[in-house]
Amino acid sequence: MSAPRYAFILAGGQGNRLCLLSERRAKPAVPFGGKYRIIDFTLSNCVNSGIYDIGVLTQYRPSSLNRHVGTGRPWDLDRTRGGIQLLQPALGSADSDWYQGTADAILRNLVHLRRRRAEQVLVLSGDHVYKMDYNVLYAFHARERASVTVAVTEVPENAVSAFGILETDGSGRVIGFEEKPRTSRSRLASMGVYLFDRDALIRWLIEDARTAGSSRDFGKDLLPRLVARGESVYAYPVRDYWQDVGTVDSYYASNRDFLSDRPPLDLDDPDWVIHTQSADRPPVRFEHGARVERSMIANGCVVAGEVVRSVLSPGVTVAPGAVVHDSIIMQDTQIARGARLQRAIVDKLVTIGAGARLGEGDNSVPNRACPEHLSSGLLLVGRGAHLPDGIRVGPNARIGAHVAAAGFTGDVPPGGVVDGPESMH
Amino acid sequence: MPETMVLVLAGGGGERLSVLTYERAVSALPFGGKYRVIDFVLSNCSHSHLTVVGILTQHAPISLNDHIGAGRPWDLDRREGGVLILQPFTTRTHAGWYRGTADAIAQNWDVIEDHRPERILVLSGDQIYRMDYRSLMHTHEQQRAAVTLAVTRVPSSQTPRFGMTTIDRDGRVTELIEKPERAATPFASMGIYLFEYGALAEAMRPGPVNLVLDVLRPLVAAGERVMAHEFAGYWEDVGTIGSYYHSNLEMVAPEPRLALHDPRWPVLTRDEERPPVLLGAGAVVDRALIANGCRISGTVRRSVLFPGVVVESGAEVVDSVVMQDAKIGPGARLERALLDKFTRIGEGARVGSSTPAALQDHAWLEGLVLIGKDAIVAAHGRVEPPAVVGIGARVQPGSGGYVGPGTQVPSRVWYEDVV
Repeated sequence: MSAPRYAFILAGGQGNRLCLLSERRAKPAVPFGGKYRIIDFTLSNCVNSGIYDIGVLTQYRPSSLNRHVGTGRPWDLDRTRGGIQLLQPALGSADSDWYQGTADAILRNLVHLRRRRAEQVLVLSGDHVYKMDYNVLYAFHARERASVTVAVTEVPENAVSAFGILETDGSGRVIGFEEKPRTSRSRLASMGVYLFDRDALIRWLIEDARTAGSSRDFGKDLLPRLVARGESVYAYPVRDYWQDVGTVDSYYASNRDFLSDRPPLDLDDPDWVIHTQSADRPPVRFEHGARVERSMIANGCVVAGEVVRSVLSPGVTVAPGAVVHDSIIMQDTQIARGARLQRAIVDKLVTIGAGARLGEGDNSVPNRACPEHLSSGLLLVGRGAHLPDGIRVGPNARIGAHVAAAGFTGDVPPGGVVDGPESMH
Repeated sequence: MPETMVLVLAGGGGERLSVLTYERAVSALPFGGKYRVIDFVLSNCSHSHLTVVGILTQHAPISLNDHIGAGRPWDLDRREGGVLILQPFTTRTHAGWYRGTADAIAQNWDVIEDHRPERILVLSGDQIYRMDYRSLMHTHEQQRAAVTLAVTRVPSSQTPRFGMTTIDRDGRVTELIEKPERAATPFASMGIYLFEYGALAEAMRPGPVNLVLDVLRPLVAAGERVMAHEFAGYWEDVGTIGSYYHSNLEMVAPEPRLALHDPRWPVLTRDEERPPVLLGAGAVVDRALIANGCRISGTVRRSVLFPGVVVESGAEVVDSVVMQDAKIGPGARLERALLDKFTRIGEGARVGSSTPAALQDHAWLEGLVLIGKDAIVAAHGRVEPPAVVGIGARVQPGSGGYVGPGTQVPSRVWYEDVV
């Protein structure tokens, strides 16, 4: 019988840089790799590492995440003891409010540690795509007698400004921690995987809550402060694939990584299954005249047209004569006859009318509404939108969720924006 | 609605299915790219809101038991009722394999009685069809029947395969004839019977063996209200190599008669978590059903591929059914072949052809090549139809690497290499 273990997963992130994709769902609930959601990787890592007691902290638009996680059955987390609990912000006790930062989110859920016998607490992020055996982290933590161990991965020099960057001495002890520095000598980025000694965590969180001016965030305040005063903070280096799918471009690129001859992660490893909530869908049906190349296509799809270098989630139909190139198409979207898509990211339940043309034209015009996140020539179509027959939508365009066919006044130029009906919130 | 208990007869060994059913019941045969045969009946039950389902097993039940488990995929894991596996058992005074369909039911009568059903619906676990049993129950009620049989029209050339019925104008069954050369009506009995509890209980007393001969025929002869309910949809009994092969390939027909993609009546199954189908740079797919976990770099035409099948580049799979985790090596060619799970076809091998030798004593193979579970055809091996390569057998250079028409390579025990 191994020691009891407990993990918090931070799943409240808004993922602003994902633009439309996380407008109506938390980032961990964003579909990935044809049939998964981003959080599946972290949840599967937990259960594959033998951690079956998990609290998931939600805040931003949790409904899609709640539906996905459900009772936790796909991960064998529907259990009598332990299992999975969704921890949303609540009112009621003295310290109840919205979560301010990651440390604050854990602080407000300290009560869950009260009767748990775990000596360490694993704090994870639900935003990343990677496979990791956390047992190795526990072993490292014990060997180094660390109070907190941060898993780190090497990132390119020009990417340091997107991460928490750590500096270590020769022994792996962390001697510097800077959140999103403009430049840095070190290229070791925090993976958002922290293993804390339980009592130290409780002490530090209480202390942080009493520190005036703290942002109540692990990366911005708490960890840098611990490092600065010489606490036993260690970095555990990970060399395997780890991807923060934080931007539209990295989301697109990391989906496409899985189409290469050597995918970065083996999704079909029987010893490390990535579990997800999958509906009962029949096998993929390829009709006469279908043409497919370098693509990943999930059960429930029906393909009669052409699909090249693309990822199709369950239940997508590609009608005869339709052409889908270099695109990511989510669940149950219908692409009608003769439609042509290139470099499009199309959300769930979208209808693309016959003969529509998406992604053709000048790709140098950034998106009007989010120029900083949508300028590389991709285009986004929101959930449930209905694109009329024959419409043209240029690169870097953004079509909001639930735009009806009548909501278009004409073609959408490069960088153009068509907003959907106001969401209830 | 009165409570109906379902009994699924799933003990059949499928003698005519050769190596496909040496180690599994017919009901546990993989079907349609990701299902097992019994999924169709269990999904029908689930969608018809029938939640007390006894499954009678006898022949090689391991894979069936694994598949059914607690019945969750069909929402049959219930506090009350749910799925019950009824295997043969011994008592102090009696040790009994099931001698026949009626005997199987009779031996479990205690269990059936405990559930106090008002009606008993007897089904076969070996059939592919989609049916709302509530319409059968409706006919039964309207006709105030003691027993209602589902019947379906079959072509006159097919009557020797079926139990045929004679039905009068009121829908009453007046005669049941097993496998006649010619029949008075085109209505075959589908092996789907709804009994009033009392009628079946009474019929169990004399110790019947066969449900048709010892229960239904006497009821018809005694003038009981045995009524017919016509079913017009797709229905297939997968008891032969030919019917198994053709009904699988029916699923890749341009307009399949049973639509797997109908979201209103999904076929429910125990699913494995596998990634989406990965199609490589040279993939060609045409009229194919390909399940999650497959990796395709070669050509697949008019074929059904189960989860985890790998088709390497230059390989061709034509008019074939390939079960889970089979690997087809580079440049290998499969035509009109049935491959069981975990088979491996080496580089450049040739298995099956569109022009099989016509051998009278192998007519049951319908010109196909059948490769048993775990069997290996080494690189550049050849298997010419009709032929059977046994479970775990190896077709390799040592043995000439050649299997000619009419050959049956014997099965090999899996631990042969260990002992």
